[in-house]
Amino acid sequence: MKELEKLLARIIQRININLRELNYDVSPFFKNLVSLNQMGKFYAFYGITPNHSLDFQFRHSSLAGSYFLGKCRTTNSILYKSDIRGDELKHQGDVFHYDNFKIPITRDESIDIEDSFLIKTLVHNFSHDPETLEKFFIRDTVSAHYANIHGSPIAGSFLCPFATVDLTTMHDCVIGTFSYIQAVEVDHLNIDPGTVWVRNPDEFNFLYRYPLNKLNRYINFIEGRAPQGFIMDFMDNRKEGFRRIFNEVNIEQSVPVPDSASLDRFAVIKPRTHISENVLVAQRAFLQNASLGKGANAQENCYIINSSLAGCNITAHGAKIIEVDLGKNIFVGFNSFLRGRPKIRLTVGDDSIIMPHTIIDIKKPLTIPPGHLVWGLITNSEELETNSIALKDFAKIDDSLIKGNMTFEGNGAGFVNAFRDRIHHILDTNGAFFDGKKNKGHAQKNQNISFNTIQPYPDGELQGLHPTILIQP
Amino acid sequence: MSDYIVKELMVPLSEYATVPKGSTLLDAVMALEKAQVEFDHTKYKHRAVLILGENGGVIGKLSQLDVLSALEPRDRESCEINELHKYGFSCDFIRNMHTQLRLQGSPLKDICSKAFQLFVEDFMQAPSEGEFIDQEASLEIALLQLGMGHHLSLLVTRGKGKKIVGILRLTDAFAAVFHIMKECEV
Repeated sequence: MKELEKLLARIIQRININLRELNYDVSPFFKNLVSLNQMGKFYAFYGITPNHSLDFQFRHSSLAGSYFLGKCRTTNSILYKSDIRGDELKHQGDVFHYDNFKIPITRDESIDIEDSFLIKTLVHNFSHDPETLEKFFIRDTVSAHYANIHGSPIAGSFLCPFATVDLTTMHDCVIGTFSYIQAVEVDHLNIDPGTVWVRNPDEFNFLYRYPLNKLNRYINFIEGRAPQGFIMDFMDNRKEGFRRIFNEVNIEQSVPVPDSASLDRFAVIKPRTHISENVLVAQRAFLQNASLGKGANAQENCYIINSSLAGCNITAHGAKIIEVDLGKNIFVGFNSFLRGRPKIRLTVGDDSIIMPHTIIDIKKPLTIPPGHLVWGLITNSEELETNSIALKDFAKIDDSLIKGNMTFEGNGAGFVNAFRDRIHHILDTNGAFFDGKKNKGHAQKNQNISFNTIQPYPDGELQGLHPTILIQP
Repeated sequence: MSDYIVKELMVPLSEYATVPKGSTLLDAVMALEKAQVEFDHTKYKHRAVLILGENGGVIGKLSQLDVLSALEPRDRESCEINELHKYGFSCDFIRNMHTQLRLQGSPLKDICSKAFQLFVEDFMQAPSEGEFIDQEASLEIALLQLGMGHHLSLLVTRGKGKKIVGILRLTDAFAAVFHIMKECEV
């Protein structure tokens, strides 16, 4: 255990050095966050498929309960129940387009995690930084519960619980609890909790800031305590289902799964769940009385309960959908929390975009019309009016718009098109458009995965650490 | 090297506007006006007030810009608008937002009435490393320091004890350079 303690102290020191210009000390946050005793209790596991690279290197790291796929490296790091999903990494011979450059990829891309501590964090997608296309690095970084690092090389940063960094290269930043950042490149920023920021320099800039007194009810994070709030309680109350699937070696598929769909064996599937063609259900997803129409997906840490998804729906990493009816082609962004109640349904019309980190929590039935952009905190129809707009109207903005706590500057059409392109790309990548021959995606390629487990030292100075392991074909 | 040295160009501390720590912004503005009337007979007026510590030493400088900034609204809305810089919004956009807010805000007279409630030490700038110059230094060195630090003035010190004896304003240095230029033309 001594070695693990030394490793944690080293990581904390390194991140504090990086954050010194922000005058930020991460140490107090680690008290009572995760007990190092936990690190020896859980196995780590990795996937083997004919469709993905098999190249793992784990050195001087603790990997408790974490999952790896593709080409991944960890050095001097602690990963606790994190998912390092390298099924979208670039391959040698690919060409990356950036502005007017066509950049050849000279070797298979890898996710390189060094001197970092990731807690229940998802790492996915590929590096979008043209300066580091073959290495998706995460170094000198700490991320707390249910953070998402998505296509974002990161150094010297602290991601608070439920923070998402998406398609952004980040250096020396603090990202507050439940904040979402997609801004191409940022450095030395301390982002307040509950900030949703999407910026494409010279094209558009979207900013929403949660009223903190209201956000705290759902999620809050203060020094010396684990994250708290309704969303944490919601997830904690469903832990037991995951405990069972991680403890059992052979899990029988509990619902019929079409040949073109993929249901991960580490997803929790409760009764009355229906899975259609081309559906992808990722590990650590939780479905209960959920109907997923053709081409819908449920990514890691998603919860879909008593809800129906009509088809071609994206439930992005960490999104929760409870007592909701979604039409077709709806995007529900990262970590969003949509909650109706029994007999008090939330209905979302076709082709709508629920922005990442949106909270909708209603006590009366609510309907979002088709083709709308929705953001922020919504508990009733008045707040829906303030925090939504028809996409066709948003696309007409050529200067700026201020609506409630949302501020937008730039080209609305550029913003809408960027989202629509990305939604189409995500559906394509996930196999939603598979026709039996063409357009294979994750739903088809991730069907036959074998899982191997790796164990840490059970006792002694190295307790909780994994031995150095190299796994290759 | 020119024939000018700093002590020939500086304004002596005794002729400059000073106020002790604990003074209000209004005290500082009154001191500035008094110094301008009593001592400053050049066409370039004093534009700052020096703040003196308990032992009489200079601990900071309050410029006209510092006074104006001190009177800026610091309510939640203003702070939120100012934060937009951090998120990459354009200066035009932020200025428009401030304009809208000001239209709904207090008139300037009400804002200025706050001046007797605000203290100079909360808004002064502490002198930085490159802001001091010895009184025996040449004009060339002074120009170098003013240019490198983008300073509007330098604090002039005497001897090893570095006691502050005056202030060299950008306008004083510029006037000397202008004079040399004219000599060159002749």
